[in-house]
Amino acid sequence: MWLRPSAGWARGRLTPWLFLAPALVLFALFKFLPMWRAVEMSFHEVRPYLGDRWVGGANYQQVVTDEAFLSAIGHTLVLAVGQTGGSVLLGLALALVLEGTARRLWIVRTAVFLPTVTAMAVVAEVWRILYYPAADGIANSLLAWVGVGPSQFLNSPDSALWSVMTVGVWRGAPYDMMIFLAALAGVDRTLYEAAAADGAGVWRRVWHVTLPALRPAFVILLTLAAIRSLRVFTEIFLLTNGGPNGSTEVLMTLIYRLGLERGELGVAAAGSMVLLGVSVLLTLLVGLSRRGRTGKAVT
Amino acid sequence: MLRRSASILSAALAAVVALTTLTACGSGDSQGAADDKAPLEIWVRKPPGSNTEKTHQQLAAKFTELTGVPAHVTALFDDFETKLQQAAAQKKLPDLIVNDTAQLGTLVKQGLVREVDRPGTKGGDQLIPASWDAAKGADGKYYGVPFSAQTFGLFVRKDWREKLGLAQPTSWDELDALATAFTTRDPDGNGKADTYGYVVPGSTKRGYLDWYFSSFLWSAGGDYFAKDGKTPAIGDGSSVAAAQRLKDQFCTAKTVVPGAATAETTQAHPLFETGKGGIYFTGPYNMARFDKSLGKDRYEVIALPAGPGGRSVSLAEGENAYLMAGSKNRTGQQRYAEFLVSPEGQTIGMAGDTDGNVVRLPVNKGMDLAAVRKDQRWLVFDKVYREAGRYVPVVKEWTPFRQASAEALNGMVADCGSDPKAVLGKLAGTFAAELTKQGVGS
Repeated sequence: MWLRPSAGWARGRLTPWLFLAPALVLFALFKFLPMWRAVEMSFHEVRPYLGDRWVGGANYQQVVTDEAFLSAIGHTLVLAVGQTGGSVLLGLALALVLEGTARRLWIVRTAVFLPTVTAMAVVAEVWRILYYPAADGIANSLLAWVGVGPSQFLNSPDSALWSVMTVGVWRGAPYDMMIFLAALAGVDRTLYEAAAADGAGVWRRVWHVTLPALRPAFVILLTLAAIRSLRVFTEIFLLTNGGPNGSTEVLMTLIYRLGLERGELGVAAAGSMVLLGVSVLLTLLVGLSRRGRTGKAVT
Repeated sequence: MLRRSASILSAALAAVVALTTLTACGSGDSQGAADDKAPLEIWVRKPPGSNTEKTHQQLAAKFTELTGVPAHVTALFDDFETKLQQAAAQKKLPDLIVNDTAQLGTLVKQGLVREVDRPGTKGGDQLIPASWDAAKGADGKYYGVPFSAQTFGLFVRKDWREKLGLAQPTSWDELDALATAFTTRDPDGNGKADTYGYVVPGSTKRGYLDWYFSSFLWSAGGDYFAKDGKTPAIGDGSSVAAAQRLKDQFCTAKTVVPGAATAETTQAHPLFETGKGGIYFTGPYNMARFDKSLGKDRYEVIALPAGPGGRSVSLAEGENAYLMAGSKNRTGQQRYAEFLVSPEGQTIGMAGDTDGNVVRLPVNKGMDLAAVRKDQRWLVFDKVYREAGRYVPVVKEWTPFRQASAEALNGMVADCGSDPKAVLGKLAGTFAAELTKQGVGS
């Protein structure tokens, strides 16, 4: 002991905080202060050079009662469920098909992974061309082969949300595939051999060996994807900008439109707070359900 | 020893933290004493690296040469308003921006611009009086200096029209007939039904569809508000007839290029350039682009024919120089705006016949357009501006009306089962509520 107990105690308490300080300062400047400012803004009519005007809960009232917001919340949820589910299923299918150690598989996997690392602006432009809503459009030419279409894709309120969802699944699935591939590498091969020796076919082996082994990967992917989907913005903004007829308007595009196109920063901030609340709630629910499951396993 | 090092490191970190915090606090103070020589930061809504940006840089360089005040131009195009809002939130606005006239209400409402003394503006009396309308707020005060004017005309594929043996349209019926012919009679002769009449930027982004529709609305005898400016007229008979006509082109005649309901202007331009559509109602700034991509001989520019309202009205727009709040150099702001509207500034801005023009049509009445530009097509726009140009209504803030209108019209053309009368009736209700919100109407 080279320090007196009281000084040592103080220093012991202080040192970790000093080490944490740089990160805390960065977080405070770039995360917590802006977040606090957003909370403030959500209770004001924001006018940077004239002084903000206190409006109480009026912005929140507008958010939860406005028809446009309610419809955007609905679209966000549909998109979150569809995109998450679609990406996970397609990702799993791709992972099962492309699993293995053969050298050439890496080329195929890289090719499949490309949509995820391609800039969204490029993806959107490519899909706008694919979706060209006339008979000579690429997707419509394919539909014509099977005697369907031509579809309006992004240009009809009936099909726009599904068309955007398809792009989201196409882009998200390879990312999920990589997580599944990593998880599949950890599956004990002897289990497959044992199952095969017991006479189990391919589907039985997938059902009883592979899927249980992938459970942690599923939990991580579903949590990440659900939260990501709630904040979907870029693909909508670039593909349809919320149209046609508001059929693809989601919370983020509506918040963007209100805040930065119409200058209603207070209402937009209130919308952001609602979105933050929903995201936190979702994360807590997933966390609680996992803790419950872990607790059960331990007992 | 290790612990001692840790203590020293901790102390060093604490010092860095304290310094960072102090620096962060200090940089927040953007307000300072007035300084007539302080450099001017100017933002222009032009694509970075474009010839239009270069013209603005020439203007700034000439201003500095004349006054000795440094001026730096920043060109921003995508999401200009977003970046402006971000700068406003940090209270670090540029000293002056050159941006659309239609942004006036939003800028005034948020207090981002300061009032302009029209009589005290040197050379202000030399401007076309109507151009000042574009800088007038709902309270009758001026919040900008008009810099450039523009209006819109029909860009028509001349080669297609002549191939089909049709004359230039002189009425709306002839215009629609031309669009139908472009759609059904294979004007490009490739044997496929892959051409259409109208190119329409029908997205709701920045209110594009309403921006496109307004000239047709006014020419059809319709309007946004009644003459008193306090009650909506968008749900009235002539307005509904104009909307019905628009919808018919989308849903019945099917003469509009597919994909229009989600197309912005950046996606609409290529449809005209690549021969998908043959009639595009747009501004003169596209001539330089289309001359390069399509060829000058293949299209012509004509004024919108008179509509059912008995006359031709064309949306007048343009750009104002806005003097932003919080500037250290208020005198410099004023002098820069005065330079922009002077004959010298306007001449540099017009950039001859090149695609670097930032003054589309001059606002200074002493300017002779034909003396600066040899391209006669500019005269079509000049004539339309002087005879048929009309600015958007003067309300406190136009953006919410334009946005609501674009969304309603977009819904109407995207859903062919919609009823234009009901759609515009509902829009009139939205307009009434917005008027009340802005302190007008009952």
